[in-house]
Amino acid sequence: MTFIKLLFTLSLTVQLFANSEISNAIKEKQIYPMGKKIHTSRCPSLDISKFKTYEALLSAIKEKHICSNLNTKHSEALSIYLWDKQVKKQVKELPKITITKDEKCQVCGMYLHYYPTWVSQINYPKGETYKFDGIKDMMKFYFNNKEGIVDIFVQDYYSLKTLNAHDAYYVLGSDVLGPMGNELIAFKDKKSAKVFFFDHRGKKLLSFDELTAPMVHNLDR
Amino acid sequence: MTDKFNPYLFKYAYGVLLRSFSKNLFIFITLTLLVALLSATLFLSSSIKNEYTTRVSNQADIIITNQKAMQYRTFNLNQLQRVLNIEGVKSARGRLYGAYYFEKADKKLNIIALDEFESYSNRLLDETNTELEGASMILSAQAKNLLEEYYYKEYFNFIKENGSLRKVPIKGILKSKDIQKRENLILMRSELFRDIFDMDEREISDISVTVSNPDEVAFIAQKLEEIFPNAKIALKKDTLVVYERSYNLKSGFFLSIFIVSFFTFFIIIYDKLSGVSSHEKKEIGVLKALGWRVRDVLEAKFYEALLLSLGAYILGTFLALLYVYLFNGAILLDIFLSQNDTLHHVAISFTPSIASMILVFLLSVPPYIFATIIPSWRVATTDADEVMR
Amino acid sequence: MIELKHISKYYEKNIKALDDVNLSFKEGELIVLKGVSGSGKSTILSLIAGLTKPSRGEVIVDTKHISKLADHFISLYRRENIGFVFQRYNLIPSLSVKENILLPLLPMKLKKEELERRVVEVTELFKIADKKESLVKNLSGGEQQRVAIARSNVNSPKIILADEPTANLDETLSLEFIAMIEELKSKNRTIIIATHDPLFFNLAFVDRVVNIKQGKIV
Repeated sequence: MTFIKLLFTLSLTVQLFANSEISNAIKEKQIYPMGKKIHTSRCPSLDISKFKTYEALLSAIKEKHICSNLNTKHSEALSIYLWDKQVKKQVKELPKITITKDEKCQVCGMYLHYYPTWVSQINYPKGETYKFDGIKDMMKFYFNNKEGIVDIFVQDYYSLKTLNAHDAYYVLGSDVLGPMGNELIAFKDKKSAKVFFFDHRGKKLLSFDELTAPMVHNLDR
Repeated sequence: MTDKFNPYLFKYAYGVLLRSFSKNLFIFITLTLLVALLSATLFLSSSIKNEYTTRVSNQADIIITNQKAMQYRTFNLNQLQRVLNIEGVKSARGRLYGAYYFEKADKKLNIIALDEFESYSNRLLDETNTELEGASMILSAQAKNLLEEYYYKEYFNFIKENGSLRKVPIKGILKSKDIQKRENLILMRSELFRDIFDMDEREISDISVTVSNPDEVAFIAQKLEEIFPNAKIALKKDTLVVYERSYNLKSGFFLSIFIVSFFTFFIIIYDKLSGVSSHEKKEIGVLKALGWRVRDVLEAKFYEALLLSLGAYILGTFLALLYVYLFNGAILLDIFLSQNDTLHHVAISFTPSIASMILVFLLSVPPYIFATIIPSWRVATTDADEVMR
Repeated sequence: MIELKHISKYYEKNIKALDDVNLSFKEGELIVLKGVSGSGKSTILSLIAGLTKPSRGEVIVDTKHISKLADHFISLYRRENIGFVFQRYNLIPSLSVKENILLPLLPMKLKKEELERRVVEVTELFKIADKKESLVKNLSGGEQQRVAIARSNVNSPKIILADEPTANLDETLSLEFIAMIEELKSKNRTIIIATHDPLFFNLAFVDRVVNIKQGKIV
């Protein structure tokens, strides 16, 4: 009985996202941007709620031209974009960490604007903010100042998007060195962290809660 | 400083210049031309540098070109997808472009194909993308003129691989200033391009890759080398180095211009340094006898040299600015560019290099003043009783 | 107030212009140095004007040892005390009378009104006021002479030195020149004229005639 339920849920999940043969990377990087552009320029007010399956939507777009006359590639892009959009919850992107020319790392005092891709940030109440030229320095600060923290932000290594530090994954001891030498590198998910771990000979892959102060200090040896 | 300026001596110096009018005019003109030539060269080279720097900064981080037996060939969309799946790649685009040989004119028409729903980081392409309609094309001014020469005013007939004709209407001209008028460039939609050149819809000319984190570019290039062992992987920063090497000041042509300029200049300086004319000697003697101190004589001489050299510098710089930014460095620029075929055209934007102007100033005005004052100083400090004889 | 003590002056090639000359002049005196060309009289003028330094001996003017002064101070001394009339005038032909006259004053940064005043004063004194704006090259010999002497007075010098002033003039102009000298004498200037023009030797208002021959006083 449970096996059939499992199979059923599995098939549902498979049907939930359109065309799961296409990797997420390709969707994010290529298909969604194109689909969005088609959507906004050709049929911004298209209502797709009446379509029960992805295939039906695709057929309507490709054959019935409900969004003007599109070729195969464009039809697919639009369909996938529209279909996935309604399923995925809209995740609001975190704002990019901004640095002015005179801001310095709270721990080591180096000017941050030379290393924009490495900056991380801790926010306390009433606008009290500290920035760091790497996650290592940030963690050193963190372990001594845990009280009252509102947010901690880091940048995803591959995309440079801002992440909530608690949700991120970290690779320690890789061959990618930051401005302070050996570093913790942050990733938005375990999958990309694993790729990096393998590519760049990481020593540890951990979530935020698994990080300890001795681990961080060991990076300096 | 103002209380040190003596307007009478200044006016006197001006009078001295006028008194040897033809000689000073010759020096003035020569100096002006030298300054103009040097400045124009420096402005042009900084314009070229600006151009390739901007170009490179707009360029994708990595461009992959496929090869078989070290000969160029196309990629297909599957290969593009492999690139997209690499972690760290922000975007990868299959570019579509080529050239059409217009036989009657014996000219090559460069064609870039645009996909209606792609976003292009290049401003020219992005703007044109919104203007293109259906199966028409937009041309550069040069291409338009070329086609009109052969009586193609509203459309053009491309001869396809199978011999049949594809008639393509001309929608308009590229308005952007980013493109030098000299290039034969055509922009059209991908579908049209594929039809003309009989390219499968899965074929692409090459792949341009953008990477979010600059620290990861080199590593991704490595990965690409593993995925496409035969392909040519061009990194943005390498392109910059190639441009720099092509156009830096060590290039032979720049050097020869400098040498000629300096040589001429030093002849003038040498002439001045080798002594004051007897006429000038007498005049200095008289002034000393009338109660001028050495300092006063030199101050007048300083004004004299300053007027001449500074005047020449200002006029020369102005002429150079006019030449480079109004006339786009005609002739000279062509000579520079034809030395290398990496840059085919350069858009000269009005960004005169202040550093160049300062350099030329330091190379022209102080040496000239120095060369004028030194011999006069020598004369002024000897006994003035020669005047008596 | 002018003293030449044991002055000797040698030039290159062993030319001895002056040999152990001793002279003194009182303020307001008009002295004629009589001698042929090359006798050394021009050298004496040069020494007094500080245009050259003696090989031996001292030149003292108003207790100032000008032969020992540095160039900067000599020039100032010259500017304030000496007016020179050259044999060939040494005017700048392409400049106007006014500009030539003002030449000695240019480094002094005086006010424009002051310069104007002095020009007027001196051109009227030497009767060349009507030609103020004319270019020197367009003037006659006599007019140029007057410009030269006007220039030598524009700084109100205590000492006027003239080297063969009438060498290139005819008798009429020479006499005109002498009249101007008389005028200056009445203003109590010390005037020293080096000349071999006999017109000067018997003038009533000349205080002294000094004979110079081959660098020695005879």
